[in-house]
Amino acid sequence: MTNNRITDHPVLGKLENQTPVKFTFDGTTYTGFEGDTIASALLANGIRQLRVHEETGAPRAIYCNIGHCFECRVTVDDTDGVRACMTTIRENMKVDSGKLQAVPFKSKPEEWPRTYAEFEKSSKKDGVPHV
Amino acid sequence: MDKLIICRCEEVSLEDIENTANKYSCSARELKLRTRAGMGYCGGRTCRPAVDAVLEEVTGEKPGNDIPLKVQPPVRPVSLSVLGGKKR
Ligand code: FES
Repeated sequence: MTNNRITDHPVLGKLENQTPVKFTFDGTTYTGFEGDTIASALLANGIRQLRVHEETGAPRAIYCNIGHCFECRVTVDDTDGVRACMTTIRENMKVDSGKLQAVPFKSKPEEWPRTYAEFEKSSKKDGVPHV
Repeated sequence: MDKLIICRCEEVSLEDIENTANKYSCSARELKLRTRAGMGYCGGRTCRPAVDAVLEEVTGEKPGNDIPLKVQPPVRPVSLSVLGGKKR
C-alpha cells in the first residue's frame, strides 16, 4: 500500500503512524490512510482510472485534483457525481466507478429493431448498454 | 496535437473545434452549440478559456462575457437534492 507514497519527505518529514482506513472500489476492498481522498488512496493502490466517459468509454481519472473539473466523479454510497479528489475516505465507504451509459438518441432509424426478437438480440450484446 | 481533447466532459478535440470554427466561421456560442464543447458536466468552466482562445485565433472574436460563453448560475454543478435542501 505504501508503494506509491512518499514515505520520507525532505520538508514534511516521515510518513508514519498513519491510521489505515478500509473502503471498497467496484467491490474490491482497498486500504488507504486516514485523511486520504478517494483519489489519493486509489492512486496509492495503483489505480488511476476512476471512470469511463459515459458515451465513448474512454478512460478518465483525476485531471485538476482541486475539485474544479469534475473529471474524477465517482459514485459514493450510491450517490453519484461525487468528486474523488475532494472526498476523504471513510471506513467501509462504498465507491463505484463511472460506467458507460446508453446512447439511445445516437442510433439511426435504420438501426432500430423491427421486431421484439431483434430487440432482444441486440440488447444482449456484452457490455454495450442499449435501449 | 490535433487529437488533443479540449472539452473533456463532451470529448471534443482541438481538431473538431478548429474544423468547425474554420468551416462556419462562427461565434463562440454557435461553436458551442455545434460541437457541444463547454456544454458538459462541469458547465464549461474547464475548457471555456481554451475554446475562446481557439476562436480568437481562427475568427478573431475576442472573448467577452456578454452573449458568448457567458457564465451563469449555478456556477458549479449542484445536485437537485442539494438545491432542494437535502444535505448530502
Ligand atoms: S480532478 Fe478535477 S474535480 Fe477532481
